[in-house]
This record gives sequence, structure tokens and C-alpha cells, in this order.
Amino acid sequence: MSMRGLTVFIADIRNCRVRELEEKRINKEMANIRTKFKEGSLSGYDKKKYVCKLLYMYILGWDIDFGHMEAVGLISSTKYSEKQIGYLGITLLMHENSDLVRLVVNSIRKDLEDNNEIHNCLALHAIANIGGREMAESLAGDVHRLLVSPNSKSFVKKKAALTMLRLFRKHPDVIPAPDWAERITNIIDDYDLGVCLSVTSLVTALAQQYPESFMMAIPKAIMRLHKVIVERDFSADYVYYKIPIPWLQVKLLRLLQYFPPTEDPNMAEMLHNVLQTIINNSLETPRNVQHNNAQNAILFEAINLAIHLDCESDIVRQATTILARFILSKETNVRYLGLETMAHLAAVTDELDEIKKHEETIILSLRDKDISVRRRGLDLLYSMCDVSNAKTIVSELIRYLHIADYALREEMVLKIAIMTEKYATEHSWYVDVILQLISSAGDHVGEEVWYRVVQIVTNHENLQEYSAKMVLHYMRSPHCHENMLKVGGYILGEYGHLIANLPGCSPIEQFNTLHARFGLCSLATRALLLSTYIKFVNLFPEIKGAILAVFNQYRHVLDAELQQRACEYMAIATMPTDDLLQTVCEEMPQFPERESALLSRLNEKTGQTEDKRTWNIGGKDSNEKTPANLLAAKERNENGSVDDLVAGVSNASLGTTAGGEGEDGSAASAANGGASSTPAASSAASASSKPAGLSWKDQLAPGSEKWYNRLRDGSDGVLYEDSILQIGIKSEYHGHLGRLAMYFGNKTHTQLGSFTVTVDSPEGLVVASSHTLATSIGPSTQIQQLYSLECQQIVTEVPMIRISYHAGSTQSIYLRLPVTLTRFIEPIQLSSADFFARWKQIGGPPREVQEVIKVAPDRIDLEKARSILVNNRLGICENVDPKPGNFVATGVFNTSMSGKVGCLLRLEPNKETDMYRLTVRTTSDVVSKHLKEILQTALLYNPNHTR
Amino acid sequence: MINFIIIFNRQGKIRLTRWYQYSTDKQKASLSQDVVTQILARKRGMCNILELDGRREARGKAIYKRYASLFFCFGIDWNDNELSGLEVLHKYVECLDQYFGNVCELDIIYNYSAAYQVMDEMLLGGHAQETNKKIVVKHCKGFDKLEESDSIVHNLRASNIA
Repeated sequence: MSMRGLTVFIADIRNCRVRELEEKRINKEMANIRTKFKEGSLSGYDKKKYVCKLLYMYILGWDIDFGHMEAVGLISSTKYSEKQIGYLGITLLMHENSDLVRLVVNSIRKDLEDNNEIHNCLALHAIANIGGREMAESLAGDVHRLLVSPNSKSFVKKKAALTMLRLFRKHPDVIPAPDWAERITNIIDDYDLGVCLSVTSLVTALAQQYPESFMMAIPKAIMRLHKVIVERDFSADYVYYKIPIPWLQVKLLRLLQYFPPTEDPNMAEMLHNVLQTIINNSLETPRNVQHNNAQNAILFEAINLAIHLDCESDIVRQATTILARFILSKETNVRYLGLETMAHLAAVTDELDEIKKHEETIILSLRDKDISVRRRGLDLLYSMCDVSNAKTIVSELIRYLHIADYALREEMVLKIAIMTEKYATEHSWYVDVILQLISSAGDHVGEEVWYRVVQIVTNHENLQEYSAKMVLHYMRSPHCHENMLKVGGYILGEYGHLIANLPGCSPIEQFNTLHARFGLCSLATRALLLSTYIKFVNLFPEIKGAILAVFNQYRHVLDAELQQRACEYMAIATMPTDDLLQTVCEEMPQFPERESALLSRLNEKTGQTEDKRTWNIGGKDSNEKTPANLLAAKERNENGSVDDLVAGVSNASLGTTAGGEGEDGSAASAANGGASSTPAASSAASASSKPAGLSWKDQLAPGSEKWYNRLRDGSDGVLYEDSILQIGIKSEYHGHLGRLAMYFGNKTHTQLGSFTVTVDSPEGLVVASSHTLATSIGPSTQIQQLYSLECQQIVTEVPMIRISYHAGSTQSIYLRLPVTLTRFIEPIQLSSADFFARWKQIGGPPREVQEVIKVAPDRIDLEKARSILVNNRLGICENVDPKPGNFVATGVFNTSMSGKVGCLLRLEPNKETDMYRLTVRTTSDVVSKHLKEILQTALLYNPNHTR
Repeated sequence: MINFIIIFNRQGKIRLTRWYQYSTDKQKASLSQDVVTQILARKRGMCNILELDGRREARGKAIYKRYASLFFCFGIDWNDNELSGLEVLHKYVECLDQYFGNVCELDIIYNYSAAYQVMDEMLLGGHAQETNKKIVVKHCKGFDKLEESDSIVHNLRASNIA
């Protein structure tokens, strides 16, 4: 930026000792530049110089109302230095709603499409800094291209990710985030930590809006954390005071707080290791400030995540001990954050005891010399308040209110009012505290507070007399605040008669107390008091005279509202009968239950952040609406609907297993669904249970049926193969347990990156990976992944897997795993007598299912039938059926949680008619039906006819 | 995210600002004045976090740190990790230091566009994009080379005309 003219100008300004001189110099320069610009035909260099001068004035805080066009002109210059100043100019001078944005969109697009990456970057900077709707609509596609294109350099990708984030924040409707979810999430695996950092920010924002589409970010984030923190695998350039890229660690830990806890036990274990390592690392306090800060930044985020995952876990217990130490720390930042994080814990946990131990320290923090710390102390006290400590905390806060900062008082009053209302066990305590609050906090009591008092007193009959008495007492003190008068006016008007017989509370005394301050009040309060007086006329006819005098006097005031009230009330009070008066002044009905205005006011004060909040100040009930909780609740609901529709689901899933035959799964499920529910109902049930699952089925890899069918008998072999990837499978089963090994072979000569395998197992079947899969497969290499299987309940669906990898572009393959119900059967042999005894015991339908299966001509094959039974792990009992050629087979289906199911069957082939008759009897009708389907499919299966 | 960056000196003179949130010039002026006054009034030993008053344009917190005569201040969201933000801020100062070689207030005054360049290489749209000092400084130096070659051409042309 070496320009003599500019340097001289800056030096001139610096030499101006007083503001007047500076202003003079600025005006002179502005006039000069204006003339130069008007004359036109400036060289690029001069234009740049003048724009630079204008920018300098802008930074100093002077209004710049011209020069925008010259900056716009510079961005299309061919010289880098001019272009760069042009872009700097527009990012400083323009905002999203500038009219000029339209003028630059085209130049920016040109630079985005340019082959020169530096031009790409300048353009991205401009979008990220200005980013209005116009830019979003016309440029989001280009930004996305730069982000996901394999040709983009790392330094372009980083910028593209953050630019996209900005556009999404401003105009979420312009970004088709769910469609882009997969390719964007995969970039978390990028080798370059800078790219990973930027993309994590982007994913964090997108995932808040579309949590379901970004579920796959969970394992990615956990693995990346594990890699950096536990495996310590990172580039040395990213180490910051001995800590590897703390910002990325913090962002990933934050990202996970927007999701419900992972259900994959392996992932949960890895995450636990990550958190434990972070806690262990923090046992030492580094001397270096930066090192210490970075370490604590991670620690606090880890604690927040641990609280989110399970606030009663061992990690959280360890964290509580650390926090207890932190709130006593000499370092203010640590004290501040310790209190803040403790407030997070207090806001979500049921176990407040650990925190309550430190009540004294926390109360002391209200007297910290730093207002920031005092605020945190206040929030923590508010969050940790419950029935047991409410009295102590509230009285501490009221005592502190007198010396608290003005900036804090309104919030304190709100919080005290909320706590008092929420945790009051005695009515008198509520009234005492709230009246004391109104009398001592005076101007800091917002309207909401006294409205709320009136609501509560009206709705609780047993409060009315006591509050009338107390409010009268407070109004007699010499420093009665106007708010007290408002409450008093309302309450006495409604409930004054309840205390009229007490000494010192006679009607005229009540009236005199109120009226003594009437003249000093604002108009609004006077209007309110006039209404009280008309109520008095109704309640206490004996003081009517005194009141009519007041009305009479106010009939002539200037204020229209007061005058009107006075006139109307006067008219009502002097009517010949009291009928109208009594109707008008009837006791107020109860207020309908509504959200406390106090809470909404408080949330208003702390709301408005770009990222959704992961927790809110306050007790547990304030935290049920955080994004991750909402998502979890949604899942619970969906699972609930599954239970309700068990029959429908089991039918739909039978269709899936049998789907090998049909062109598509849905046709088969329609065919099978008829029995107990309509096909539409069954597919609706599965759609609501797992939206992802349904779409997976639709996307099964072409040709995968062939391999699936071949493996259905439980043998080992190829599950899928294409020109890039080959997937093999090996399995063994024992009782309700099984082990499954999958082999992924890369057939190409390049690395497959971002390799992810996700398993979607049906309910009742747990599929856990025993170790973490590598995220890439080298050229011509094979990697192996082991899964352990546990059949917990009767399962009628098979697990699905989704494999995705990056080779030029992102590819996804959806497959079914041949883990059918029969894998968990143990064959048994029964003698003829035993068999028939049990056969009879089970009896007919619904536990018996019979089917006549017609096969193609001459396709009855006894050997094949035998091997089908054996492969489905049934024991063939010889010599049980008197007719040779008929099969009798038995087995026990094992589950770990729903017990065992005995399975008996007869298979009667008939060569003459090309039919099998299959009769299945088991101790569970679901199993009978499902076992029949499996065998039927296998018997009908003809490998030669398969596509 | 970072909503704004304000760099100012002990006298309260603003040296550099960057606004990632949308505010009118008037709001910017009043908010920066507010923040600067409040920070200058804070004593040593207080924490580096200042809670803003919650107006639309003044939401969240300000985190700040003093380096010699200059204060560096970031406005961040209520939800953000304060220490992580403070260390980004420190990293920015480190990058400036490396780029200018022992940076001082004058460097930022006379070469404000370079200071912006370092900032834009580290932060974009209010989020950290690169925290590797080597890469940030390398890119910025690279840009300077481009600029230099521009000015050589410019000088050649000028001398030709002469």
C-alpha cells in the first residue's frame, strides 16, 4: 500500500492536535477528492490512492458519502493492488442492503469463475462481508462449487465454507442444505486442519436447522476429536502453545452439543475417552497465559458437552470438582467461566447438592469487584435455586439489591420475582418478599412485576387478605414508591373489604392512605386510583361522600382520560339504584393461566444470538427447548408411534426381507401387508419410524439383490462389487450373539477419502462396531471392519448399511446386510414323540402359519429344500414324519431380552403338483409369520432367473 | 460468531473496525463508543469479558485484551466460548507481529490495508478460517509480491513517459 500521497495525508491527520484541525484537514481532502473524481479520467493508481484516503477517514469515524462507485470500478481492475483496495473498499463501505450491491454482483461472479484463485478469494471475502439476498440468490451455487470441487485449493475451500455460512445465516431459504449435507459433512475429514475448522463452523450452523440431515456429522466429529486429542495426530504447524488447534477442538465439542447423545456404543466410548483425556490434561495449570487459556477453553467446552450428554455421569462429577476450584481462582477469567459453567450444570441437573456446597462462595461472588463476575454469580444463584434454598438466596439478593449496579437491578428484580413465585411454600413469604421488593427496588421494578403480583393475588384466594393488610402497611411508610401505590390501589379496590374490620384498616383509613399520595402520582396511576375509588363506593357506602368529592373535583381536570373516568364514575355512583354499580364493580374473575410475563421479559433480555443456545439460564424447565432436546423428544415420539403400530411395521418389514423377489420392496410389502393392516398403513408406519431408513430402501444399490440373495443362507462372500469398491462379508453366530466381519477393498489406484460406514439396525438388533474404521482406503488395499451383533428382541427387519466415500465426487452405496431372524436360531433335534407333543402344545393359528408354495414346473428339489432348512439353522429331525421326502425341522430362536422362541415346522414337497406345503408353528405368532416368509422366499428363489 | 472487531488505543481513538453483523453507521458509532468507554474504564485484574447491554446491535459479550498502547476487542455471541475467542484474538496479534516484524500502533495506522488483509486471511464472516500463522503470513506476503510487481510496472510506465 506504499503510496506517498496517502502516507503524507495520514501523517497530516496525526499531526492535528485538536479535533477542529482534523475536521478542517478532512474537509479539505474530501473537497479535493470530490473534484478529482468529478474531473474523471483518473489513472487506476490515483483512483486507488483516493479510495485509500477515503477509507482511512471512514475508519476514523467520518461519514463517507461518495467514492463507492470508484471502489466498485477498482474491483474490475486487472492489477491486483487496485482490485484488492476496491474489494476492501466495498467490504467496509457497503452493507447487505446497499443499492450498490446490484452493481458488484456481476464483477464478483466473474472473479468467482476466474481461474485465478486469488481473485476467487477476494470475491469470497466480499460475499462473506456483505452477503445480501441478491448475492445469496445469484452466487450461492458458485460458492458451493468452490467448496466441494475436488480441484479447489485448501485456501479457497476454507473461505468458501465460511462464505456459505454467512449466506445461510442471512438467507437460509437460498441454501438447499439437506441436499448438500453429505458432501459438506464429508469435508470434516479433510486433511487440512484449516479447512476442517471452517467446515465445522458451517456444519454447526446447518445442523441446528436440519439436525436429521446432518446426523452423520456426529461420528465424524467424534473421530476427528479422537484423532487430535487421543491419537495426537495433527500437523505441527497447528500447535498453539503446546495445544493442537484448540479452536477446532472447541468447535467440534460445540457441534456435538446440538445433537442428542450418540447411540453407537463404540462412538460413545471414543467420546468418553476424549472427554476424560481433556479432564486429565487440565489437572496441571500451565504458567503461560495463552497455554492456560487454550486449555481452559477446551475444558469448559468439554464440560458443557459432558453436561449435555449426561449430567449425572462420572465425567460431570469430576468436572464439578474442577469447577469448585475454579470459582475460587485468583484469575478473574477463570472465576467468571467457572461460575458460568456451573450455572449451565445447575440449569439442567436434578442433583444440586454438589453445587449447593459452594453456596457461600457463590453468594460472595456477588461482591466481586468485576461486574461481569457479579452477573455470573447472579445467574448461577438463579439457576441453582430450588425450594430448599430459595429463602436464603432470595434474602441475599434483596440485601444485595441496594448496592447492586444500576445496570443489574432490573434483571435482579425480575429474577427475584420469578424465584419467589416459583419456590414459595408459604403464601405469606411470597407476599412479604414481593412487597419488600417493590418497596425497595423502586424504579427498577418493571410493569411486568406488579402485573404479575396482581394476577397471583387474584388467583389465590388465601393470599388476598394478607396481601391487602401488608400492602396497606407498606403504603404508610414515608418512602412509598408509586409502583406500591398501583399494587395497593388494585388490591384494596378488590379485597379491601376483607380487612375493613381490623384496627387501622377501616374504609376511611384505607381511602386516606391512598389519597394522601394521589396528587404526587403520574396520570396513569391516578386513573387507576379513580377506579379503586369507584370500587370503594360499592364496597363501603359509608365513605361515598368523601369519594364523590374527589370525582367532582376531577370532572374538571385537563387530562381527558382522568376527566372521563371521573365523570363516568360520578354518574354511576349517583344513580338512583346501585344495580349498575354492583355489576360494574363485581369482583374480578381469575386470570387464565399463561406464561409468566416475567419469564418472557427475561428471555427477551438474553435472547438473540446467531447460534441457537445450547442451554438457558434458569432451572431444568427452562432447558427443555434446546435444539438437541427437541430433536431427542422428536425421536422419542417417532419411536412411540412405532410401538403403537407394531402390527403394521412388522408387515412392512416382512416385505423388505422378501423384497429380493420383486422389482421393488414396496410391491412385495403391499403383497404381504394385507393380513392385518392395509399396505398404506404399514408403509406409513415405517415412514414415520425412520425417515432415513425408508429412503435408504429406495436407494438400494442396483444389482445388490443378487449378492444379497446369495448370502442369505449365511455363507461368506461378496456383498457388493463395482468398478471401485468390493465389499465382502464373513459371519458367525452363536445363540443371540453374532460376529460379522466386513471387508472393503479399493480396486482403484487412488485413495478413497472420507470413507464412512453407517449402520442402521432395526429395533431389537444391536449392531456395534468394535473399533473405528479408517476414514480412507489406500489404492488397491483392503480394510476390515468387525461388528458384534446382539439380538435383543424379535427382529423382523434386516440392518441396512450405508457406505460413502469420496473419489472425485462423493459416492454413496446403500445395502442390506443378510442378518435375518434365522441367524439367531440354534438347531435342535427332537424325537418323534417330543416333536408331536410340542407341535400339539403350540396349536393352530395365530401361532401356526401355513402356506402352499407353487414353484416353477419341475423345480421341486429335495436337496435344495434340505439345504435351505439347514442354512437357516434349523435342525432336521429324521424319521419323524412317516412320509419319506417330507421334512420336519426344529430350532430355538434366541434373544437376550425377550427370551427364547421354539420353532417347529413341516415341509411337504409334492412333485406332481410342483408345490410345497409349509407349516410353521412357533411360540410367537410374529416369529411364525416371519420364519415362513424367509423360507418361502428361499424356496421360490431361482438363481438363474435373477437379474 | 464474532459480530464485530474494534481496535483502539488508550486514548479511545479507533484504529480499525470490522463489522460482521449488520448495523447502520449510526449504530456502529454508538456501539463502538460504548464499548470503548466501558473497556477503558475497567481496571487491571478484571476479566477480559464484558457483557453488553442486550440492545439489538449490542447483543452478547465483548472480549478484549490490551497489547501495549492498543486494545483489541471482539464482540461475540452470548453462547460463544470466550477463551477460544480471546486466543483467536491473540493469534491475530501474533500474525500481525510476524507480518510487520514487531508490530506497533503506527504500523496499523499507516498500513491499515495490510492489517485488514491479515485479518481477512484469519477470519471470515465472523469465524476463524485459518489459525496457522505460517500460512496466514505466507499468503499476505504473497499478496505483497503481487502488489510490488504492479508498482514496478507502474514505475516503469511513469519513467517511460518521462
